[in-house]
Amino acid sequence: MSGKLAGKTAFVTGGCGGIGRAICERFAREGAQVIAADLAPQGDLPDQVEFLAYDVTDESGCQQTFAALAERWDKLDVLVNAAGIEIEKTIEDTTLEEWNRIFAINVTGMFLTSKYALPLVRKSDAASIINFGSYDGYMADPGLAAYCATTGAVHALTRAMACDHGPEGIRVNAICPGYVNTPMLQSFFGDSGDIESLKQAVRDVHPMRTYGEPDDIANLVNWLASDEARYASGQLWVLDGGLSAQVQQMKL
Amino acid sequence: MSRLQGKTALITGGRQGIGRAIVDSFVAEGARVMTCGRGPRPGDLPKAVLWETTDVADKADVDALTDRVVAEFGELSILVNNAGLQIEKTIVETTDQDWELLMGVNARGVFMLCRDCIPIMAQGGSIINIGSISASTADPGMAIYNASKAFVQGLTRSIAVDHGPAIRCNAISPGWIMTGMADAAFAVAKNPEAAKTDALARHPAGRFGEPRDIAKLALWLASDEADFATGQCYTLDGGMTAASPLNPGLF
Repeated sequence: MSGKLAGKTAFVTGGCGGIGRAICERFAREGAQVIAADLAPQGDLPDQVEFLAYDVTDESGCQQTFAALAERWDKLDVLVNAAGIEIEKTIEDTTLEEWNRIFAINVTGMFLTSKYALPLVRKSDAASIINFGSYDGYMADPGLAAYCATTGAVHALTRAMACDHGPEGIRVNAICPGYVNTPMLQSFFGDSGDIESLKQAVRDVHPMRTYGEPDDIANLVNWLASDEARYASGQLWVLDGGLSAQVQQMKL
Repeated sequence: MSRLQGKTALITGGRQGIGRAIVDSFVAEGARVMTCGRGPRPGDLPKAVLWETTDVADKADVDALTDRVVAEFGELSILVNNAGLQIEKTIVETTDQDWELLMGVNARGVFMLCRDCIPIMAQGGSIINIGSISASTADPGMAIYNASKAFVQGLTRSIAVDHGPAIRCNAISPGWIMTGMADAAFAVAKNPEAAKTDALARHPAGRFGEPRDIAKLALWLASDEADFATGQCYTLDGGMTAASPLNPGLF
């Protein structure tokens, strides 16, 4: 155990999801005090990780959560905005309700959490906010229109937050994962007949010949959260096994 | 059609493909055009077009070419650096000779043409470099080609910054354009027809590019309609790079 985050406090939204859970577990191993904030508890969390019922779309809930947290913690060093959903539809098939819902979670949720966490984050002397965008903010996956749009918004918001709060010593970065083995990816694969050959085909498109695991993402989150990354801010960190480094992989 | 009336243009690599399409469209729009290539003048080149046999990797050739531009045109309005070649190898397979050949044309050639032509360019001149989408995302097995196109993008921005406002400089990054280069790429496929079908499905535009598609953008960039456009690398690829390289619909 390297204890890179010893003495730090961390708040992770979507903390019970595929990537969020891996982040919470890693943070705990690195010695941080961690809150996994999510709608409902799912599966086991390590003892050092505290579950907190939290809805990123509920403004008063967000406000109350951080007001209450300020009574317990004197600072928040690491905020990870990992809560997010995807909707597998083109714009034509997407209802306004679905559009509003995905923006409420992926973008507005990030805004509300960051906004109300900020007073406590400001008290850290080495604060790091890590947002979740996606490589889909750069290039589209078919049939994910609203999701692609939310990630573009996240990328712009990340740069804006980095500009506005950098002078206060707060670093803000976004991680843009490619294909990561999460429930979201399984849902994206859907119930296509031969799932194993589909998965193999997806792996083969990557220069690394594999898609990522949540722990791969947690490795970068851990670094960005740590003081080793103290000069890193305002950047979008694509982590995708090389997928987006290449031109379309025609089957030649 | 006279969007380039009164303008003079030098287009490298005008024998075939994209270069030839640019030559034809510039002539049609009223420009006086000189083009060049390594071999003799192509028989089907329109009479009005001046030809100079030139290896753009060779300094003496480039100097002679620009001397002739001055002799024929006086001032140059438009320079299109189109001449380029590709080598289908990873870096491990690439020899020093390959490097010399490819970088000589794709990098040194563009550098020397720009260096010689900027001083003879008219106020409001436009330089158009042909880059590639490979400058930003790698085509497999084309290592130094990809790198040479990244050089073109970097140089494009530098020229725009250093030589504006007198001269505008932009690059066009074509995707898959149906030229001899694309045919060569498909030819090495296990099943060239299946490869073409697959490649086609990755283009939101539903077709590959044609040299005239690139010529249309080059024409706009050369014209005064583009007088605020400078320092950019415009991608023209039928939407291919807007989509993820992983296209699950194709599995």
